[in-house]
Amino acid sequence: MLWVDKYRPKTLDKVLVHEDVAQNLKKLVTEQDCPHLLFYGPPGSGKKTLIMALLRQMFGASAEKVKVENKNWKVDAGSRTIDLELTTLSSTHHVELNPSDAGYQDRYIVQEIIKEMAKNRPIDTKGKKGFKVLVLNEVDKLSREAQHSLRRTMEKYSASCRLILCCDSSSKVTEAVRSRCLNIRINAPKENEIVKVLEFIGKKEGLQLPSGFAARIAEKSARSLRRAILSFETCRVQQYPFTSNQVISPMDWEEYVSEIASDIMREQSPKRLFQVRGKLYELLVNCIPPEIILKRLLYELLKKLDSELKHEVCHWAAYYEHRMRLGQKAIFHIEAFVAKFMSIYKGFLIATFG
Amino acid sequence: MEMDTPATDDLEWLEADLDLHEDYLDEDLEPPLPEEEEESFIEQVYKHPHSETSIKPDNHTIGSETEILQPKKRLLNPSLPDPSNVEYTVEEKRCKVDFCVNEADDDWMRYSSPEEEPVLVVEEEERFISRYATDIEGDIMPVTAPDGDRVYAKLIEEKDDKLKKLEVKGSSKGLTSEPISVLMQKMEQAELQKALEASVASQIDEDLPERPTMSERLWVDKYSPNSFVELLSDEHTNREVLMWLKQWDTSVFGSELKSTTDDVLSALKRHSSISQHKRVSSKTIFGRNTESVSNSETFGERNRFDKEKYDSHGMKELHNKKSKDLGPPEQKILLLCGAPGLGKTTLAHVAAKHCGYRVVEINASDDRSSSTIETKILDVVQMNSVIADSRPKCLVIDEIDGALGDGKGAVDVIIKMVSADNKSDTRTENIIQSEQSGKTSSKKRKDTPLLRPVICICNDLYAPALRPLRNVAKVHVFVQPTVNRIVNRLKYICNKEGMRTSSVALTALAEYTECDIRACLNTLQFLNKKKEMLNVMDISSQVIGRKDTSKSVFDIWKEIFQKRKLKGVRKSIDSCRSTVNEFTSLHSLISNCGNYDLILDGIHENMLQLSYHDPVLKKTVKCLHSLEVSDIFNQYIMRTQKMSLQGYQPAIAISIHGVVSQVEKPNIQWPKSFHRYRTSLVDKVEALHTWHNKISPCISRHISTKSFVEDLVSPLLHILSPPTLRPVALHLLSEKEKNEMAQLVSTMVSYAITYKNKKVDSLPGKLRNEALTDTQVLSFDPPIGDFVNFEGYRSNYFILALAVKQVLSHEVEKQKILQTSIGKSKDENERIYLSGKEKSSKPERALENTKSISSLKNSSTSNRSETVSANTIVSASASSRSATSSSEILKSSEATKKRSSGPFNFFERVLQMQLKDQFACTSSECDNWISASFDGMGKQLVRMEQKMSQMTKREALNSLSCPDRFASRAPEGKNRKSYKSQSRYAFSNLSFRGFVFFYCKVRRLLTPRTLTMSVAPVFSLRGYSIRTLC
Repeated sequence: MLWVDKYRPKTLDKVLVHEDVAQNLKKLVTEQDCPHLLFYGPPGSGKKTLIMALLRQMFGASAEKVKVENKNWKVDAGSRTIDLELTTLSSTHHVELNPSDAGYQDRYIVQEIIKEMAKNRPIDTKGKKGFKVLVLNEVDKLSREAQHSLRRTMEKYSASCRLILCCDSSSKVTEAVRSRCLNIRINAPKENEIVKVLEFIGKKEGLQLPSGFAARIAEKSARSLRRAILSFETCRVQQYPFTSNQVISPMDWEEYVSEIASDIMREQSPKRLFQVRGKLYELLVNCIPPEIILKRLLYELLKKLDSELKHEVCHWAAYYEHRMRLGQKAIFHIEAFVAKFMSIYKGFLIATFG
Repeated sequence: MEMDTPATDDLEWLEADLDLHEDYLDEDLEPPLPEEEEESFIEQVYKHPHSETSIKPDNHTIGSETEILQPKKRLLNPSLPDPSNVEYTVEEKRCKVDFCVNEADDDWMRYSSPEEEPVLVVEEEERFISRYATDIEGDIMPVTAPDGDRVYAKLIEEKDDKLKKLEVKGSSKGLTSEPISVLMQKMEQAELQKALEASVASQIDEDLPERPTMSERLWVDKYSPNSFVELLSDEHTNREVLMWLKQWDTSVFGSELKSTTDDVLSALKRHSSISQHKRVSSKTIFGRNTESVSNSETFGERNRFDKEKYDSHGMKELHNKKSKDLGPPEQKILLLCGAPGLGKTTLAHVAAKHCGYRVVEINASDDRSSSTIETKILDVVQMNSVIADSRPKCLVIDEIDGALGDGKGAVDVIIKMVSADNKSDTRTENIIQSEQSGKTSSKKRKDTPLLRPVICICNDLYAPALRPLRNVAKVHVFVQPTVNRIVNRLKYICNKEGMRTSSVALTALAEYTECDIRACLNTLQFLNKKKEMLNVMDISSQVIGRKDTSKSVFDIWKEIFQKRKLKGVRKSIDSCRSTVNEFTSLHSLISNCGNYDLILDGIHENMLQLSYHDPVLKKTVKCLHSLEVSDIFNQYIMRTQKMSLQGYQPAIAISIHGVVSQVEKPNIQWPKSFHRYRTSLVDKVEALHTWHNKISPCISRHISTKSFVEDLVSPLLHILSPPTLRPVALHLLSEKEKNEMAQLVSTMVSYAITYKNKKVDSLPGKLRNEALTDTQVLSFDPPIGDFVNFEGYRSNYFILALAVKQVLSHEVEKQKILQTSIGKSKDENERIYLSGKEKSSKPERALENTKSISSLKNSSTSNRSETVSANTIVSASASSRSATSSSEILKSSEATKKRSSGPFNFFERVLQMQLKDQFACTSSECDNWISASFDGMGKQLVRMEQKMSQMTKREALNSLSCPDRFASRAPEGKNRKSYKSQSRYAFSNLSFRGFVFFYCKVRRLLTPRTLTMSVAPVFSLRGYSIRTLC
């Protein structure tokens, strides 16, 4: 097992980062009932870990015994029946699923599964929780309709079912849903927290950590704990004993983006833009979300940019990202940003150097 | 051929036409009056509203020229071999219009003589038409106009035998009778015409005496080319088509090249030379009557000269070709494609006729289902008609792309025939010939070859139905003829029809209809009928129906990227209007296509390849901005389903046109990359999902697709291929390395990753590793490496040596198997209570097995020693059996020390066997073992039963582990049944617990049913029920 999984805290007590949140959650659960919860925060901050620990806290070790199921639903939607299929993870106490996988039919999924859970409500509630928990991942990717349908079902079946929603950004979750949940923000762990975790792992693994090495990894990790631990393990695999100036291998796609950025800086012309387009397609094909590409590209471009242009470039990046989210074909928008940048930069170069 | 066919046709037609005229009385026209006496000539009574003599009411406001029923003239000149030609020449001379002389030169020469006698117009001052019959002397005939006006027309008998010309007055138009605007226009047109064509005396004779009567026949049909040289389509294409048809000659006519080839070639040559010398010739030819003869003579001579030169060359070429392949041409089908109205059908007909074929046409109006068309084609292609004319047939399938379902039937049949043909390619020409002659309907094989030329005509070459046809057919794409040619032709026809036009207007019309001559003619005829002028200024606003064309997307992209060239003179004046025109035309073009998504994709794909001047990429930014807008727009429309907003989409494309359009021709690519991106993205996501589902849930629940590609994949690749792992045999690794290896294997197992043999592809990343042989490339099974395999980028993760990969994949497989078995036995453990010690020992041992051989050895040794120390009979017997069977000379009644070594050896061997999976080599040996041990077991059973009570639980268990292993082998052995019976026998004597353990182990090898069956009697004997077990 990777260290990420190996040293993932199983219980709320063992949590190393977000200890305060963990304690609060513990208190919440010990009082027999809990409200609907909405976890949100950047990736790699430990939302899922906390949720799993929370489930364990609620239901004990049996919550960890999960099985994967490919469930089929037949939803009767007026004149036609819709066949839906979705992979769920379930234990005796909870069901976990990714409703956004169902695409635009996600609202049926949400309603159906909640109803189903309400139907199969455990009869004997003695000594047990009288409800099941439904964990919905990536709620921010749920369509608006699904979120609206969620808010009614949430109330209607609240006796038998608790929802734990998990998403990156709460802004995409409708107000109505948010107000029905207890919102729990999970920050990205601070660098010193990451260092703490890394040192903990190092100790467990019996590794000698040179001073500052963990800090370097933490710095490179962009405050994602997952990434930090993974690159820590990578370093371990590549070279041990560690040296304090050891190369921390970067993410491949980030390397690629920085290649693109240097391409852009080197030449600004439609021809070059065409090459850049090819590379952007490469990234997109490999499932890298366009928003992240754009963000990373901006980051790489800003590195090498004159300070007077930075504001403008940032402005346009934001502008094009906004449009990208409105639209559908991400490549158009990223490319438009690149073209805009090229235009600005070239104009700047001509103005400065003639 | 040319001489008689048209004439007869015309006669026939005339008869029909005369009847028609009865019904279709036009207010502007006087109908031709049928003559009672057959010999007498029909007088065309015509009137002119502006003429003083007109008796007609004033409601005929539109001035028209005098008209004469043209065909009548033909009748009047029966001596002339080809009246139409005479007519042409006469008119040409009169009008002095420059037009392309398409007639064969010889004909022209020949017929020029009659024209020498000028056809005089006989002016008659008499009244011909009157409201009152009394006004007219002689024979009269009542005529009723559609509006109810009734007049009487006089029937005149011409005295003149030779020239029967009918005259009407009204030829001269007073200036006052025309509105000033018309006059102005006329002047303008005249001037423009002058400027454009210096040679042409542009004014249309006011008093042109002869006017072909407006007939009900469509001009398109009327003036469709009858001979090859009249064709308007591209000369090259014409030539190619003709050559192709000619190549059939040997197989169809069975002769060498027909002599017509000379004519054709000469005609072709002349045709092209005429177009070259058009200016000159037209000027000279139409200058003076007298001159024309000599001129045309010299012209003809020149042509002949050219022709000879050309012929000798061309014939040689042809003969060379012929000697090479005597059969029908390589590609048996000709596929003509092009926009409507370019003359595809006409070309096919004319060319086929020219080559001596009888044309059989199948078009969209016919039944085109597969079955009917097959017989039809067979009829055409293989049979000669006995009755009508014995010319071989040529099949023309028109509009083959039209109806998808039906057209496909035709295509299939043809393809089948062609493929049959290719099979029988080896046949000699003679055979083909004889076959052809002997071919009758009786020979109805399924794959009858194609023996007659087949010409298919389509509009859209890329119609899906035509895909198979494209591969086998000779494809000719029609290009638009030059506007000049069209205009010349139109002008000629207009003059013939007596319609007043200007070349400017005609040019505009031709451009407007995109050189669709059919549309042009129909428009002109329509206008003529309405007595309207073709107006240059408002062609678009006029009645001219614009074709509802939907062009291919390629054309649309071209339109968007390519700027229309503007005529230099008019540029400044028209620039404003032309942009408006451009906008409307583009708009209609794009909205007719409707597939905005595709259009914009195409723009996106090709935009950056254009060479527009753009120093600081302002234009590029603008374009991409527009594309963005359209994308957002589209998304909004789709989300809100407000489809009406789609109407604004073309504007976006047009705005791009405004920015990037260039004069030069763009090189347009189909937008592949976006679609490729889409499909491969789907593939990758799919691969990721399946992989995701394979990972055990406690890990996979923490990984989303996003986090996988973002965070996980690069480190994972590094972790999975540690550079420290030495490519040596497993037992040579140090303890630490073994640990690392074990950890790596467990990681791989938990992430459901393994190495798989992959076909060798020249991935740059793979080539790097020199150690790899070509035959075997192991790569990650869910191809996670592909996720960082960006083009032009190489991830720097270490790639393990092949040996290591092999070891790893082996280990992973082993680990997986063990895990499943552990899982199963664990399940059992939970269900059935076992003593704590047993419980712990089993998984423990299983785990140990997996980890390394050495540790396993130790554990088993320790187990064994315990057993031995217990000194049970069973273990002793087991040891003895193993010893003998493994041909190690060890006797059962040895000292305890030896005994202890016996089981040790035995178990070690078994375990090693299991670990190394050496089933194949040791199976026979194993079988021996098993049978031997069972035999022995049977003998020992009684004693064992006795001792059983004395044994501790664990001892019993341990003793059982021996038959257990054998039994686990048993299902793979040969005589399974005997083993089963034996084992049942053995089981019956075992303790319950021992059995349970056995059951756990064997369960995955025996189906539950067989086990229950074999075990049930035992348990019923023993008083246990199966239910307690399961």
